[in-house]
Amino acid sequence: MKHRSPLITLVAVALAFAIMFTVNMLASPPGNSSAEPPSPPAPPATTAANSTSPSPAGPPAASPSPTASKSAEDSKFPQKVVYAGRAEEGAGAIAVAVLGTKSAAYFCDGRSVEAWYRGPVAGADISLKSKKGAILQASLDSDHVKGWLRVKNERIRFEIDEAKKPAGLYRARGSKTTIGWIVLEDGSEVGVQRTGEDSAPAPKLNPDSPQVTVNGEQLDAAPVTGDEDL
Amino acid sequence: MASIPAPAPEAAPAQPSGTKIGPVVIAFAVGTVVSIALGVYGRLHTPTGYAVNISGFSTGPAAKAFLATIVIILAIVQTVTAMGIYGRIPLHGAWVNPVHRWSGRLAVLISVPVAVHCLYALGFQAYDGRVIAHSIFGCFLYGAFVFKMLILTRDDAPGWALPLAGGLVLTGLTALWITAVAYFFFV
Repeated sequence: MKHRSPLITLVAVALAFAIMFTVNMLASPPGNSSAEPPSPPAPPATTAANSTSPSPAGPPAASPSPTASKSAEDSKFPQKVVYAGRAEEGAGAIAVAVLGTKSAAYFCDGRSVEAWYRGPVAGADISLKSKKGAILQASLDSDHVKGWLRVKNERIRFEIDEAKKPAGLYRARGSKTTIGWIVLEDGSEVGVQRTGEDSAPAPKLNPDSPQVTVNGEQLDAAPVTGDEDL
Repeated sequence: MASIPAPAPEAAPAQPSGTKIGPVVIAFAVGTVVSIALGVYGRLHTPTGYAVNISGFSTGPAAKAFLATIVIILAIVQTVTAMGIYGRIPLHGAWVNPVHRWSGRLAVLISVPVAVHCLYALGFQAYDGRVIAHSIFGCFLYGAFVFKMLILTRDDAPGWALPLAGGLVLTGLTALWITAVAYFFFV
C-alpha cells in the first residue's frame, strides 16, 4: 500500500524552495536587502571582456552578505586611517584605506593577482567592490579590521592592523601601467604592476621618494587615502 | 499550507513479514542525489552575497538564527512524538500522530527560507572546518528529508527504515544548528 501525503509534503517543500528562489532572483540587488549598507552601483559590463587577465574574476554580485561582527557594532572607523597586513594562509597582502565615508582597498599576491576595491563606509562596516564586481567586506574590530574578499573566485579572509607611515597603500598610474604597493609595518612590500592584460611583480618602491620607472616612463607613486577614483 | 491533506501514514512500529528493502534503497538513492545536487549547485552558483531580507529582524543572520531555532524546537517535538508513536515513552492519544505530522511539515517549511538564503547568498563554502561541516550537513539534511518522505509512502519498508530516516534528519538538523546558530549566539 502506498501513501500519498508525504509526497504532497515533498512537492510542497520543493515548491516553497522554488518560490523562495524566484523571489530572490527577482529582487533587485540594492533595494531589497534593507539592513545592508548601500553599495555603489555596479560598473558597466565593459570591463568583463578581459576575463583572461589575472584580475578579480569575481561575480557581479550585489550588496554584501550579512556576516555579522557583533563586537564591532558600537565602534566606527576613524576619519582617516589605513590598515595593512597579510591575508590568511599566505594568499597575499591587503590594505584598506578609509577617508570619511569612502574607502578603497587593494589586494595583491606580489606576483600577478591583484584587485582594487572601493565603496562606502557605514559605521564600523565597509563593503567594497572591484570594477568587476568582486566583493570585499570587512568590519572594524576594536583596532583591527577583519573581513574577507573575493578575487579570481577565491574567498580570502584577512585580519589586519593599522599601518602607520611609511607603511600603507601606494599607487602609481602611467599612460598604460598601473602599479599598487602594500607596504607593511616591517618595511616589506607586496606589489603588482599591470599593463593592459599583463601583470608582474611591482618594482621596488621607496616610500620616501616614491618614483619608479616602468618601460622608460617615470611614474609618481602616491599614498592612497580612500577617496580616490580608482 | 492548508492544501496539504491531513491523512497521513501511521508510523507503525514493526512491520509484519514481507517487507522489502528495494524501496528503501531507491529512496536512499534519491535522497543522496538531492544532497549531491544541492552541494553541486551551492558550489557552482556564485554566491550573490545577499538575499531577500526577512523583515522584523536586526540582521539577516539574526532572522536565520531565529527561524532555525524554531525548527530545532519543532524537531524536539518531532522526536518526542515519534518516541510516543513507537511506544518508547507513554504518550497516548489521537493527537500524537497529527502533531508529529504537522510539526514536521511546519519545521521543514520554516527551514526553507533559511536554506535558500544559505544556498543563494552564501553557497557551499569550505574556508574553515565549521563552514565545511555546515555546508555538508545543509546538503545532507534535505537529502535525508527526501529519504524520509519517500520511506513514509511505503508500508512495506522494513521497520528500521523510518526511524533511521528520522534519525538522519534530526542529526543533520542538530549539526546545522550547532555549526551556525550556536556559533552565532555564543561564539
